[in-house]
Amino acid sequence: MTTELDPPLLDEARADFITHHVSILAGSSSAERIPSVARAYGCRVAPDRRSITLFLSLTQSATVLRDLRAGGAVAAVFSRPTTHETLQLKGAGAQIAPLADGDRALMRAYGRSFRDDIGAIGFKDPFGVNIMSGTEDDAVAVTFTPTAAFVQTPGPSAGEPLRPQP
Amino acid sequence: MPTLSELRRCFEGAVPSVIATCAPDGTPNVAYLSQVHYVDDAHVALTFQFFNTTRKNILANPRAVTQVIDPATAAHWRLQLEYLRTETEGPLFEKMKAKLAGIASHSGMSKVFRLLGSDVYRVLAIEPVFGGEAAPDAPRQHLLPSLRACLAGLTGCSDLAGLFDACLQGLEQHCDIRHAMLLMHDAAQGRLYTVATRGYAESGVGSEIRIGEGIIGVAARERTPIRIGYAAQEYLYSRAVRDGFERSAGADGLETVIPFPGLAASGSQLAVPLWYGERLLGALYVESPQEMRFGYEDEDALVVLAGQLAMYIELLSHTAEHHEEAAVTRVPPAVQGPPAGIKHFTADHSVFIDNDYLIKGVAGAIFWKLVRDYVEAGRNEFTNRELRLDPTLKLPDVSDNLEARLILLQRRLAERCSVVNIEKTGRGRFRLNVARPLLLTEVPGR
Repeated sequence: MTTELDPPLLDEARADFITHHVSILAGSSSAERIPSVARAYGCRVAPDRRSITLFLSLTQSATVLRDLRAGGAVAAVFSRPTTHETLQLKGAGAQIAPLADGDRALMRAYGRSFRDDIGAIGFKDPFGVNIMSGTEDDAVAVTFTPTAAFVQTPGPSAGEPLRPQP
Repeated sequence: MPTLSELRRCFEGAVPSVIATCAPDGTPNVAYLSQVHYVDDAHVALTFQFFNTTRKNILANPRAVTQVIDPATAAHWRLQLEYLRTETEGPLFEKMKAKLAGIASHSGMSKVFRLLGSDVYRVLAIEPVFGGEAAPDAPRQHLLPSLRACLAGLTGCSDLAGLFDACLQGLEQHCDIRHAMLLMHDAAQGRLYTVATRGYAESGVGSEIRIGEGIIGVAARERTPIRIGYAAQEYLYSRAVRDGFERSAGADGLETVIPFPGLAASGSQLAVPLWYGERLLGALYVESPQEMRFGYEDEDALVVLAGQLAMYIELLSHTAEHHEEAAVTRVPPAVQGPPAGIKHFTADHSVFIDNDYLIKGVAGAIFWKLVRDYVEAGRNEFTNRELRLDPTLKLPDVSDNLEARLILLQRRLAERCSVVNIEKTGRGRFRLNVARPLLLTEVPGR
């Protein structure tokens, strides 16, 4: 159980890590236990680092959003292409809302940082432009409280759960 | 909706794919995948590299969804999947293992990525996510006309040597594949020996690869094409051969290894076994300094070419046997000059001419018989038939390709020896041309 008194699962470094240069994918599942997955186009972390907001495309993420509306749990994986550093967050009770002021600017800044990172390993534009395309008009904000975090950087410690650092 | 084969470009491993699974309690899990492998139009196989949540989930609940990305257009596609089984050996496993080695080496993950199994999934549905309407780049080259031209080049060949050369020449001329080689199978020794190469500084004819060694050896063992898009240390022959063939030099210090001619900095490799019925005949190997040079389509084309090539090899081998003409009896012309010393080691049939290594094994034994007959019986005209029937040669098997051994011997002589050469004089007939007197020494052991 996490309470208000526990330190947040995300320390400052991890809260920073998930907001730029990383590939973000969000998943859920239906009542029939059929998983769903979609790309997210950026991430905002609440000032207290207890909740995060992912930006998803309404059309590209129709199944994920349907599963979340039906009460499905959420998983989000963040991976930096140049370093393979990877973190997965899990939670439940995701809320879907319109974008807040400033979210579009966050999405654009995120998109640039991700294109820089994949550009560094050889994926130049138009690939970079294309992979971040088509989300400006129909994006929504999905907010949830991460209750579990796992290191997924390939290697011996992959899969280990992260504990909140006091 | 595209078919799975139309999405094969997404499966080259250039852009990592992701897989979402879900535990029996409904908790989703999203993980990166090194490789989604195209099996056929209804199945893909995913790399099983770690005992992780994905693994636990699919064993408990077989439904999964993977999202793949076209490396050229960034179009995203989702595949709805159902887990069927895991393969831990055999052709599919070896193909994926080799490909993973390339991907791992390319991404600096060589020490981390190890294939534990190939997870085979049924593809239930293909869903476009975005970008699928964008026209993909035109293929680098239309392969069907190139393949047709290559095959046309094979039809005119009347002997094996010509067939080998036409095949490699066709690949260069019509498919822009500039580094290629053909190897034949020595079943008794469990090896492949090189009979023709193109695009290398040294021809390397006569060099050997053990079955199971490196990309060619594994492709031959598993009877499956193997393709690597990035140089993978564990599949490079520069190292494999050095490690594998230890010290081949005997106590006398004479070296009997012919260096394998492969590119030192190979970026892309494709090995295709040649087989006829159940029998492995050899392998066709192509490579390029460029990474990701060979795609699924190139693999398709080379598999078709290899199939035709195997049939022609079989056909020409038998034609040669059935139409062998009788030997002409003629006294070889007298030669003068300082004698050339020919040494034959009985144990492995290695042959040295003036202390330079020529060949060993079956081709070495054949050569020894020829020069002995030349010196002792004064004859230089021979037939394939008499070699096949000669009990002293102990040819390994009726299925062994004598013609290929002769091509190997003929090419080694042409490259390494100025004193003796072999000249074809008709179907199943050839002449030993000798330029200087020969001094034969038989050495027991080695």
